[in-house]
Amino acid sequence: MRRIAALGVILALALVQVTWAPRLSIAGAFPNLVLVAVVGITWMQGVRAGLVWACIGGVLLDLTASGPIGPHALALLTTAYATSLWARNLERPNALHAALTACMGTVAYSVTLVLTDGLLGMPAMDAAAVARLTIAAAIYNAVLAPFAIELMRRLRALVRDAPQPT
Amino acid sequence: MYGAKSSSRSTGLFLTLCAAMLLLAMLSQQSWAAGPRGAAKSALAPLEQAMTTTAAQAQRVALIFGDVSALRAENARLRAADEQQRRQIVELQAAAKENAQLRQALDFQKASGHRLVAADVIGAGPDALTRTMEIDRGTADGVKPGMVVVTGAGLLGRVREVGPHAANVQTLADPESRANVYLSKSGLQGTVTGGPTALALDVQHAVGVTAADGDWVLTSGVGGSYPRGLVVGEIASITHRDTSTSDLAEVAWVNEPTSVSFVLVITDFTPS
Repeated sequence: MRRIAALGVILALALVQVTWAPRLSIAGAFPNLVLVAVVGITWMQGVRAGLVWACIGGVLLDLTASGPIGPHALALLTTAYATSLWARNLERPNALHAALTACMGTVAYSVTLVLTDGLLGMPAMDAAAVARLTIAAAIYNAVLAPFAIELMRRLRALVRDAPQPT
Repeated sequence: MYGAKSSSRSTGLFLTLCAAMLLLAMLSQQSWAAGPRGAAKSALAPLEQAMTTTAAQAQRVALIFGDVSALRAENARLRAADEQQRRQIVELQAAAKENAQLRQALDFQKASGHRLVAADVIGAGPDALTRTMEIDRGTADGVKPGMVVVTGAGLLGRVREVGPHAANVQTLADPESRANVYLSKSGLQGTVTGGPTALALDVQHAVGVTAADGDWVLTSGVGGSYPRGLVVGEIASITHRDTSTSDLAEVAWVNEPTSVSFVLVITDFTPS
Protein backbone atom coordinates (compact mmCIF):
# COMPACT_ATOMS: atom_id res chain seq x y z
CA MET A 1 0.00 0.00 0.00
CA ARG A 2 2.81 2.39 0.95
CA ARG A 3 4.65 1.55 -2.25
CA ILE A 4 1.58 2.33 -4.33
CA ALA A 5 1.23 5.64 -2.50
CA ALA A 6 4.91 6.38 -3.10
CA LEU A 7 4.47 5.53 -6.79
CA GLY A 8 1.55 7.96 -6.89
CA VAL A 9 3.70 10.67 -5.33
CA ILE A 10 6.55 10.13 -7.81
CA LEU A 11 4.07 10.18 -10.71
CA ALA A 12 2.55 13.41 -9.36
CA LEU A 13 6.01 14.97 -9.01
CA ALA A 14 6.93 14.00 -12.58
CA LEU A 15 3.69 15.51 -13.88
CA VAL A 16 4.15 18.70 -11.85
CA GLN A 17 7.69 18.91 -13.19
CA VAL A 18 6.57 18.94 -16.84
CA THR A 19 3.48 21.09 -16.40
CA TRP A 20 3.83 23.52 -13.47
CA ALA A 21 7.57 23.75 -12.87
CA PRO A 22 8.51 25.36 -16.23
CA ARG A 23 6.37 28.36 -15.13
CA LEU A 24 8.87 28.88 -12.29
CA SER A 25 11.82 29.14 -14.66
CA ILE A 26 14.74 31.30 -13.49
CA ALA A 27 17.74 31.84 -15.79
CA GLY A 28 16.39 29.14 -18.08
CA ALA A 29 16.31 26.50 -15.32
CA PHE A 30 13.41 25.16 -13.29
CA PRO A 31 13.22 22.80 -10.32
CA ASN A 32 13.74 19.11 -10.93
CA LEU A 33 11.29 17.75 -8.36
CA VAL A 34 11.91 14.09 -9.15
CA LEU A 35 15.64 14.60 -8.67
CA VAL A 36 15.08 16.31 -5.33
CA ALA A 37 12.82 13.43 -4.27
CA VAL A 38 15.44 10.86 -5.29
CA VAL A 39 18.09 12.69 -3.26
CA GLY A 40 15.71 12.73 -0.27
CA ILE A 41 14.85 9.04 -0.60
CA THR A 42 18.54 8.12 -0.83
CA TRP A 43 19.27 10.10 2.35
CA MET A 44 16.35 8.67 4.26
CA GLN A 45 15.98 5.12 3.03
CA GLY A 46 19.40 4.27 1.66
CA VAL A 47 21.00 3.76 -1.71
CA ARG A 48 18.93 0.75 -2.80
CA ALA A 49 15.62 2.55 -2.38
CA GLY A 50 17.17 5.61 -4.00
CA LEU A 51 18.28 3.62 -7.04
CA VAL A 52 14.91 1.90 -7.46
CA TRP A 53 12.95 5.16 -7.24
CA ALA A 54 15.49 6.88 -9.51
CA CYS A 55 14.74 4.24 -12.12
CA ILE A 56 10.97 4.62 -11.76
CA GLY A 57 11.03 8.42 -11.67
CA GLY A 58 13.47 8.55 -14.58
CA VAL A 59 11.31 6.33 -16.79
CA LEU A 60 8.31 8.55 -15.99
CA LEU A 61 10.31 11.60 -17.05
CA ASP A 62 11.43 9.79 -20.20
CA LEU A 63 7.77 9.16 -21.02
CA THR A 64 7.18 12.91 -21.03
CA ALA A 65 10.25 13.76 -23.13
CA SER A 66 10.99 13.07 -26.77
CA GLY A 67 13.53 10.47 -27.79
CA PRO A 68 14.38 7.08 -26.32
CA ILE A 69 13.20 5.82 -22.94
CA GLY A 70 16.06 5.51 -20.46
CA PRO A 71 18.37 8.58 -20.50
CA HIS A 72 16.59 10.39 -17.64
CA ALA A 73 16.47 7.17 -15.60
CA LEU A 74 20.20 6.72 -16.16
CA ALA A 75 20.83 10.34 -15.14
CA LEU A 76 18.79 9.93 -11.95
CA LEU A 77 20.60 6.66 -11.13
CA THR A 78 23.91 8.54 -11.06
CA THR A 79 22.29 11.20 -8.87
CA ALA A 80 21.16 8.55 -6.36
CA TYR A 81 24.52 6.81 -6.40
CA ALA A 82 26.46 10.07 -6.00
CA THR A 83 24.21 11.01 -3.08
CA SER A 84 24.82 7.62 -1.47
CA LEU A 85 28.59 8.16 -1.65
CA TRP A 86 28.12 11.35 0.37
CA ALA A 87 25.53 9.86 2.74
CA ARG A 88 27.63 6.78 3.47
CA ASN A 89 29.42 8.36 6.43
CA LEU A 90 26.53 10.35 7.83
CA GLU A 91 23.54 9.19 9.84
CA ARG A 92 21.34 12.24 9.39
CA PRO A 93 21.80 15.10 6.95
CA ASN A 94 21.59 18.69 8.02
CA ALA A 95 20.27 21.34 5.62
CA LEU A 96 23.73 22.04 4.24
CA HIS A 97 24.39 18.38 3.42
CA ALA A 98 20.99 18.09 1.77
CA ALA A 99 21.60 21.21 -0.31
CA LEU A 100 25.11 20.16 -1.32
CA THR A 101 24.05 16.67 -2.36
CA ALA A 102 21.17 18.09 -4.43
CA CYS A 103 23.67 20.46 -6.05
CA MET A 104 26.16 17.66 -6.76
CA GLY A 105 23.35 15.33 -7.85
CA THR A 106 22.13 17.90 -10.38
CA VAL A 107 25.61 18.18 -11.87
CA ALA A 108 25.87 14.36 -12.06
CA TYR A 109 22.39 14.27 -13.65
CA SER A 110 23.24 16.82 -16.36
CA VAL A 111 26.62 15.30 -17.17
CA THR A 112 25.09 11.82 -17.48
CA LEU A 113 22.24 13.13 -19.62
CA VAL A 114 24.62 14.87 -22.01
CA LEU A 115 26.93 11.83 -22.18
CA THR A 116 24.02 9.44 -22.75
CA ASP A 117 22.61 11.65 -25.51
CA GLY A 118 26.06 11.65 -27.11
CA LEU A 119 26.31 7.87 -26.80
CA LEU A 120 22.90 7.45 -28.42
CA GLY A 121 23.91 9.71 -31.29
CA MET A 122 21.71 12.62 -30.31
CA PRO A 123 23.18 16.09 -30.88
CA ALA A 124 24.35 17.81 -27.71
CA MET A 125 23.84 21.38 -26.60
CA ASP A 126 26.62 23.91 -26.60
CA ALA A 127 28.88 23.13 -23.60
CA ALA A 128 28.73 26.67 -22.23
CA ALA A 129 24.92 26.65 -22.35
CA VAL A 130 24.79 23.26 -20.63
CA ALA A 131 27.13 24.53 -17.90
CA ARG A 132 25.05 27.66 -17.35
CA LEU A 133 21.76 25.78 -17.19
CA THR A 134 23.27 23.12 -14.93
CA ILE A 135 24.56 25.69 -12.45
CA ALA A 136 21.19 27.46 -12.38
CA ALA A 137 19.34 24.16 -11.90
CA ALA A 138 21.83 23.02 -9.23
CA ILE A 139 21.23 26.18 -7.20
CA TYR A 140 17.49 25.85 -7.63
CA ASN A 141 17.47 22.20 -6.51
CA ALA A 142 19.89 22.92 -3.66
CA VAL A 143 17.52 25.54 -2.25
CA LEU A 144 14.58 23.14 -2.47
CA ALA A 145 16.28 20.00 -1.14
CA PRO A 146 16.43 20.81 2.62
CA PHE A 147 12.73 21.71 2.67
CA ALA A 148 11.83 18.63 0.61
CA ILE A 149 13.80 16.30 2.88
CA GLU A 150 12.23 17.82 5.99
CA LEU A 151 8.78 17.42 4.44
CA MET A 152 9.52 13.80 3.52
CA ARG A 153 10.79 13.11 7.05
CA ARG A 154 7.61 14.49 8.59
CA LEU A 155 5.42 12.55 6.17
CA ARG A 156 7.34 9.41 7.00
CA ALA A 157 6.91 10.00 10.73
CA LEU A 158 3.21 10.60 10.15
CA VAL A 159 2.84 7.32 8.25
CA ARG A 160 4.83 5.46 10.93
CA ASP A 161 2.70 6.84 13.76
CA ALA A 162 -0.56 6.16 11.97
CA PRO A 163 -2.56 3.27 13.52
CA GLN A 164 -2.14 0.06 11.55
CA PRO A 165 -5.29 -1.70 10.34
CA THR A 166 -6.08 -4.79 12.38
CA MET B 1 26.76 3.57 7.91
CA TYR B 2 27.34 0.94 5.25
CA GLY B 3 29.61 -2.06 5.35
CA ALA B 4 32.01 -2.92 2.52
CA LYS B 5 29.78 -5.82 1.43
CA SER B 6 26.67 -3.64 1.39
CA SER B 7 28.58 -0.99 -0.52
CA SER B 8 29.71 -3.41 -3.23
CA ARG B 9 26.15 -4.77 -3.49
CA SER B 10 24.84 -1.24 -3.99
CA THR B 11 27.48 -0.61 -6.64
CA GLY B 12 26.46 -3.85 -8.32
CA LEU B 13 22.79 -2.81 -8.29
CA PHE B 14 23.73 0.63 -9.63
CA LEU B 15 25.75 -0.83 -12.51
CA THR B 16 23.04 -3.39 -13.31
CA LEU B 17 20.31 -0.76 -13.40
CA CYS B 18 22.52 1.55 -15.49
CA ALA B 19 23.14 -1.25 -18.00
CA ALA B 20 19.41 -2.05 -18.08
CA MET B 21 18.46 1.58 -18.71
CA LEU B 22 21.11 1.98 -21.38
CA LEU B 23 19.84 -1.15 -23.11
CA LEU B 24 16.27 0.12 -22.83
CA ALA B 25 17.35 3.46 -24.34
CA MET B 26 19.13 1.74 -27.24
CA LEU B 27 16.20 -0.57 -27.95
CA SER B 28 13.53 2.11 -27.64
CA GLN B 29 15.52 4.28 -30.05
CA GLN B 30 15.09 1.77 -32.89
CA SER B 31 12.61 2.66 -35.63
CA TRP B 32 10.55 -0.49 -35.02
CA ALA B 33 9.97 0.67 -31.44
CA ALA B 34 8.52 4.06 -32.46
CA GLY B 35 4.91 2.83 -32.32
CA PRO B 36 4.99 1.28 -28.82
CA ARG B 37 7.12 4.17 -27.57
CA GLY B 38 4.58 6.71 -28.84
CA ALA B 39 1.72 4.72 -27.32
CA ALA B 40 3.51 4.52 -23.95
CA LYS B 41 4.15 8.25 -23.98
CA SER B 42 0.52 8.93 -24.91
CA ALA B 43 -0.60 7.12 -21.77
CA LEU B 44 0.55 10.04 -19.62
CA ALA B 45 -1.01 12.68 -21.88
CA PRO B 46 -4.47 12.82 -20.20
CA LEU B 47 -2.82 13.31 -16.79
CA GLU B 48 -0.55 16.01 -18.20
CA GLN B 49 -3.57 17.72 -19.74
CA ALA B 50 -5.43 17.68 -16.42
CA MET B 51 -2.39 19.09 -14.61
CA THR B 52 -1.93 21.83 -17.21
CA THR B 53 -5.58 22.85 -16.92
CA THR B 54 -5.27 22.95 -13.12
CA ALA B 55 -2.06 24.98 -13.42
CA ALA B 56 -3.78 27.52 -15.67
CA GLN B 57 -6.64 27.88 -13.17
CA ALA B 58 -4.20 28.18 -10.28
CA GLN B 59 -2.30 30.86 -12.20
CA ARG B 60 -5.52 32.84 -12.63
CA VAL B 61 -6.17 32.65 -8.89
CA ALA B 62 -2.55 33.67 -8.20
CA LEU B 63 -2.97 36.59 -10.58
CA ILE B 64 -6.00 37.77 -8.61
CA PHE B 65 -4.16 37.58 -5.28
CA GLY B 66 -0.97 39.07 -6.75
CA ASP B 67 -3.00 41.89 -8.18
CA VAL B 68 -4.72 42.52 -4.84
CA SER B 69 -1.48 42.67 -2.85
CA ALA B 70 0.15 45.02 -5.36
CA LEU B 71 -2.80 47.33 -5.26
CA ARG B 72 -2.83 47.35 -1.48
CA ALA B 73 0.79 48.40 -1.37
CA GLU B 74 0.49 51.02 -4.05
CA ASN B 75 -2.73 52.78 -3.40
CA ALA B 76 -5.00 52.78 -0.35
CA ARG B 77 -7.91 54.04 -2.37
CA LEU B 78 -8.00 50.84 -4.41
CA ARG B 79 -8.29 48.70 -1.28
CA ALA B 80 -12.02 49.13 -1.36
CA ALA B 81 -12.27 47.92 -4.94
CA ASP B 82 -14.67 45.11 -5.46
CA GLU B 83 -13.06 41.64 -5.43
CA GLN B 84 -15.62 40.30 -7.81
CA GLN B 85 -14.89 43.05 -10.34
CA ARG B 86 -11.16 42.37 -10.19
CA ARG B 87 -11.72 38.69 -10.68
CA GLN B 88 -13.86 39.45 -13.71
CA ILE B 89 -11.22 41.80 -15.08
CA VAL B 90 -8.51 39.18 -14.71
CA GLU B 91 -10.72 36.57 -16.29
CA LEU B 92 -11.62 38.92 -19.12
CA GLN B 93 -7.97 39.75 -19.65
CA ALA B 94 -7.12 36.07 -19.80
CA ALA B 95 -10.01 35.48 -22.19
CA ALA B 96 -8.93 38.42 -24.33
CA LYS B 97 -5.39 37.06 -24.50
CA GLU B 98 -6.72 33.67 -25.52
CA ASN B 99 -9.03 35.27 -28.07
CA ALA B 100 -6.12 37.23 -29.53
CA GLN B 101 -4.12 34.02 -29.83
CA LEU B 102 -7.02 32.24 -31.50
CA ARG B 103 -7.67 35.17 -33.82
CA GLN B 104 -4.00 35.28 -34.74
CA ALA B 105 -4.11 31.54 -35.39
CA LEU B 106 -7.24 31.93 -37.53
CA ASP B 107 -5.60 34.71 -39.52
CA PHE B 108 -2.57 32.50 -39.99
CA GLN B 109 -4.77 29.63 -41.17
CA LYS B 110 -6.55 31.86 -43.70
CA ALA B 111 -3.35 33.48 -44.93
CA SER B 112 -1.19 30.38 -45.13
CA GLY B 113 -3.62 28.29 -47.13
CA HIS B 114 -2.38 25.18 -45.34
CA ARG B 115 -4.55 22.54 -43.76
CA LEU B 116 -4.04 22.84 -40.03
CA VAL B 117 -4.90 20.92 -36.88
CA ALA B 118 -5.24 22.99 -33.71
CA ALA B 119 -3.76 21.57 -30.51
CA ASP B 120 -3.34 22.57 -26.88
CA VAL B 121 0.08 22.42 -25.24
CA ILE B 122 -0.21 20.01 -22.32
CA GLY B 123 3.38 19.72 -21.11
CA ALA B 124 7.00 20.71 -21.49
CA GLY B 125 10.31 18.84 -21.45
CA PRO B 126 11.33 17.45 -18.04
CA ASP B 127 14.37 19.70 -17.61
CA ALA B 128 16.02 22.79 -19.04
CA LEU B 129 18.24 20.69 -21.30
CA THR B 130 15.25 19.22 -23.14
CA ARG B 131 13.51 21.72 -25.41
CA THR B 132 10.36 19.89 -26.32
CA MET B 133 6.66 20.20 -25.62
CA GLU B 134 3.70 17.83 -25.55
CA ILE B 135 0.47 18.54 -27.46
CA ASP B 136 -2.92 16.89 -27.18
CA ARG B 137 -3.25 15.71 -30.78
CA GLY B 138 -1.90 12.47 -32.23
CA THR B 139 -2.27 9.95 -35.03
CA ALA B 140 -6.04 9.84 -34.42
CA ASP B 141 -6.16 13.50 -35.50
CA GLY B 142 -3.94 13.02 -38.54
CA VAL B 143 -0.72 14.19 -36.91
CA LYS B 144 2.43 12.43 -38.13
CA PRO B 145 6.13 12.67 -37.26
CA GLY B 146 7.93 15.43 -39.15
CA MET B 147 4.89 17.70 -39.50
CA VAL B 148 5.58 21.39 -38.99
CA VAL B 149 4.15 23.12 -35.90
CA VAL B 150 3.41 26.85 -35.85
CA THR B 151 1.65 29.46 -33.76
CA GLY B 152 -0.12 32.54 -35.01
CA ALA B 153 3.20 34.36 -34.56
CA GLY B 154 5.33 31.97 -36.60
CA LEU B 155 7.35 28.76 -36.66
CA LEU B 156 7.53 26.76 -33.41
CA GLY B 157 9.10 23.42 -34.42
CA ARG B 158 8.19 20.02 -35.76
CA VAL B 159 6.48 16.88 -34.53
CA ARG B 160 9.05 14.38 -33.39
CA GLU B 161 7.04 11.51 -31.93
CA VAL B 162 3.37 10.69 -32.13
CA GLY B 163 1.05 8.59 -30.02
CA PRO B 164 -2.65 7.98 -30.66
CA HIS B 165 -3.82 11.10 -28.81
CA ALA B 166 -0.66 13.10 -28.09
CA ALA B 167 2.52 14.16 -29.83
CA ASN B 168 5.92 15.43 -28.83
CA VAL B 169 7.11 18.60 -30.55
CA GLN B 170 10.77 19.42 -30.92
CA THR B 171 10.92 23.21 -30.70
CA LEU B 172 13.35 25.39 -32.64
CA ALA B 173 15.21 25.96 -29.35
CA ASP B 174 16.25 22.29 -29.25
CA PRO B 175 19.96 21.85 -30.07
CA GLU B 176 19.02 19.31 -32.74
CA SER B 177 16.81 21.79 -34.62
CA ARG B 178 17.98 23.20 -37.94
CA ALA B 179 16.00 25.48 -40.25
CA ASN B 180 17.15 27.01 -43.52
CA VAL B 181 16.12 30.64 -43.67
CA TYR B 182 16.43 33.88 -45.60
CA LEU B 183 16.42 37.48 -44.41
CA SER B 184 13.50 39.66 -45.47
CA LYS B 185 15.47 42.85 -46.23
CA SER B 186 18.84 41.66 -47.45
CA GLY B 187 17.66 38.37 -48.97
CA LEU B 188 20.70 36.60 -47.52
CA GLN B 189 20.40 32.91 -46.78
CA GLY B 190 21.41 31.11 -43.61
CA THR B 191 20.70 28.39 -41.10
CA VAL B 192 19.02 28.79 -37.72
CA THR B 193 20.03 26.41 -34.95
CA GLY B 194 18.55 25.92 -31.51
CA GLY B 195 19.90 27.38 -28.32
CA PRO B 196 18.81 27.71 -24.70
CA THR B 197 18.09 31.42 -24.72
CA ALA B 198 18.18 32.75 -28.28
CA LEU B 199 18.31 31.07 -31.67
CA ALA B 200 21.67 31.19 -33.44
CA LEU B 201 21.82 32.16 -37.11
CA ASP B 202 24.68 31.50 -39.48
CA VAL B 203 24.25 33.99 -42.37
CA GLN B 204 26.08 33.36 -45.64
CA HIS B 205 28.09 36.28 -47.02
CA ALA B 206 27.14 37.84 -50.36
CA VAL B 207 28.93 40.56 -52.32
CA GLY B 208 27.62 44.04 -51.52
CA VAL B 209 24.95 42.92 -49.05
CA THR B 210 25.17 42.62 -45.28
CA ALA B 211 22.71 41.47 -42.69
CA ALA B 212 21.68 44.00 -40.05
CA ASP B 213 19.84 44.15 -36.74
CA GLY B 214 16.08 44.19 -37.16
CA ASP B 215 16.10 42.10 -40.33
CA TRP B 216 13.27 39.52 -40.25
CA VAL B 217 14.16 35.86 -40.53
CA LEU B 218 11.83 33.57 -42.52
CA THR B 219 12.05 29.95 -43.60
CA SER B 220 13.48 29.62 -47.12
CA GLY B 221 12.06 26.23 -47.99
CA VAL B 222 15.55 25.11 -49.03
CA GLY B 223 16.09 21.46 -48.16
CA GLY B 224 12.36 20.82 -48.01
CA SER B 225 12.16 20.61 -44.21
CA TYR B 226 9.86 23.59 -43.78
CA PRO B 227 7.53 25.44 -46.16
CA ARG B 228 8.84 28.79 -47.41
CA GLY B 229 7.82 32.00 -45.68
CA LEU B 230 7.20 31.01 -42.06
CA VAL B 231 8.35 33.75 -39.68
CA VAL B 232 11.11 32.63 -37.30
CA GLY B 233 12.12 35.90 -35.64
CA GLU B 234 14.09 39.11 -35.88
CA ILE B 235 17.85 39.57 -35.79
CA ALA B 236 18.68 40.89 -32.31
CA SER B 237 22.44 41.19 -32.75
CA ILE B 238 24.97 40.29 -35.39
CA THR B 239 28.70 39.61 -35.35
CA HIS B 240 30.36 40.26 -38.70
CA ARG B 241 33.26 37.94 -39.44
CA ASP B 242 35.54 39.11 -42.24
CA THR B 243 37.73 36.03 -42.03
CA SER B 244 34.83 33.63 -42.43
CA THR B 245 32.30 32.92 -45.19
CA SER B 246 29.44 33.63 -42.81
CA ASP B 247 28.31 35.99 -40.06
CA LEU B 248 26.88 34.93 -36.72
CA ALA B 249 23.63 36.42 -35.46
CA GLU B 250 21.28 36.01 -32.54
CA VAL B 251 17.63 35.75 -33.45
CA ALA B 252 14.86 36.96 -31.16
CA TRP B 253 12.37 34.16 -31.68
CA VAL B 254 8.75 35.20 -32.22
CA ASN B 255 7.64 32.38 -29.92
CA GLU B 256 8.30 32.12 -26.20
CA PRO B 257 7.74 28.38 -25.57
CA THR B 258 6.84 28.80 -21.90
CA SER B 259 3.93 31.10 -22.79
CA VAL B 260 2.62 29.15 -25.77
CA SER B 261 -0.58 27.33 -24.91
CA PHE B 262 -2.09 26.75 -28.33
CA VAL B 263 -0.42 25.56 -31.55
CA LEU B 264 -1.27 24.60 -35.11
CA VAL B 265 0.08 21.52 -36.88
CA ILE B 266 0.43 21.85 -40.66
CA THR B 267 -0.90 18.54 -41.94
CA ASP B 268 -0.65 19.05 -45.70
CA PHE B 269 3.08 19.73 -45.91
CA THR B 270 5.34 16.71 -46.19
CA PRO B 271 8.98 17.38 -45.37
CA SER B 272 11.30 15.89 -47.95
